[in-house]
Amino acid sequence: MIETVVNIIQLIITGACSGIALFNAVRTEHRAWTLVGLFSGIFFMGDLYWLLFLLFYGETPPYSFIPYMSWYASYLFMLLLLVTVKGGIRRRPVRRILIPVMLFTVSMCLYYMTFGDYIGNIICMLLMSMLIYHSADGLINHTEQVTEGNNRSIFEATLFFCFAEYGSWTVSCFSEGRAVRDLYYLFDLLLSLSFILIVLAARKAVDR
Amino acid sequence: MNYIENIYVCLMAPLLITSLCLRGRSRRVIVFLLGGMTVCLLSSYISTFIAAVQGADTLSASLEIAPLVEEIMKFLPVLFYLIVFEPDKSSLSDSVLVISLGFATFENTCYLTQNGAAHIVHLLIRGFGTGAMHVVCGALVAFGLVYLWDRIWIRITGTVGLIAMAITYHGIYNILVSQSGAPALIGYFIPLITLLLLAVFGKDLVKKTLR
Repeated sequence: MIETVVNIIQLIITGACSGIALFNAVRTEHRAWTLVGLFSGIFFMGDLYWLLFLLFYGETPPYSFIPYMSWYASYLFMLLLLVTVKGGIRRRPVRRILIPVMLFTVSMCLYYMTFGDYIGNIICMLLMSMLIYHSADGLINHTEQVTEGNNRSIFEATLFFCFAEYGSWTVSCFSEGRAVRDLYYLFDLLLSLSFILIVLAARKAVDR
Repeated sequence: MNYIENIYVCLMAPLLITSLCLRGRSRRVIVFLLGGMTVCLLSSYISTFIAAVQGADTLSASLEIAPLVEEIMKFLPVLFYLIVFEPDKSSLSDSVLVISLGFATFENTCYLTQNGAAHIVHLLIRGFGTGAMHVVCGALVAFGLVYLWDRIWIRITGTVGLIAMAITYHGIYNILVSQSGAPALIGYFIPLITLLLLAVFGKDLVKKTLR
């Protein structure tokens, strides 16, 4: 029951965020809004597919290609958003922060792979590595004042999103128990909150 | 038993002959229509094969495997056209839509032969719903491929994302129409509403995104 409520909350938030972002994309001239709309829109569609399957058939999809693919695609759009707000791809030397980022994502991936789904975990690791690296790089650039503008909060919101995703994945690896389940729902709610933060951050970045 | 190859041959033959008699843009439209029908036939084979390999039942195959295979297959002729002929933006977006149209037409014809043509209201709703769904999925991919991104690697990344979006949209549609009553009706009307929204706001979005 609580799981359905948490899923519905996430569905409402992601749906509202994609609606707001696409409305702003039509209203303003910024590609960033289109990307925020696509990011939250495809995440919303993955959630909706999952929830409808659960509702009509009383079980999670046995071959979960479609929802997982939509969630991975949302990371792709997030990555495009980060690249867009950083002002496109420029040839810069790779920062040393990539090493701890890769150490973290690869070790987490190896841990998750002990539960199976090798390909999905590898795709996820690659996308998350790029997301975390680009967010950290954006934050460092902002601190060093390499880039202008008010983009800081979008990088922070992305890091928060990654933290919530990793939190929920890690908690779901542990055996069932009341405390573990509560922690999982908490991370799921934090994930929903991150969508609101990303929309607010996009507004800040676009209004610069 | 549903002999979809035989239906395909019947539909394909006049179109093929017509395409040989036509020139230029008209021929291209017919060829894309044929392409859409052909990928529909191939998708059916591939979905059946994957379902057999995975040991999936009919329901799982139609809800989880078919959307994935169909959307990827629909994209392949477009990719071929893009790489080999390097068309302009308008031709490319037209090609995506006509391929989707061919796909929907063949799928509806197969549905008719399997389920009969007695219920006109249901067929009317289904015909418009399925047609609109395939066109919406095609339009999503065309939007990304043609308008949204300028640099090649961003275009590739974005198009992969939009194909995933089309697959999920198709999957949601299939889940809803596999039910009866209100969920099925909602399922049939969602693509029509999406198409309406795309017609109203899509052009604006494209213009603003291109600036």
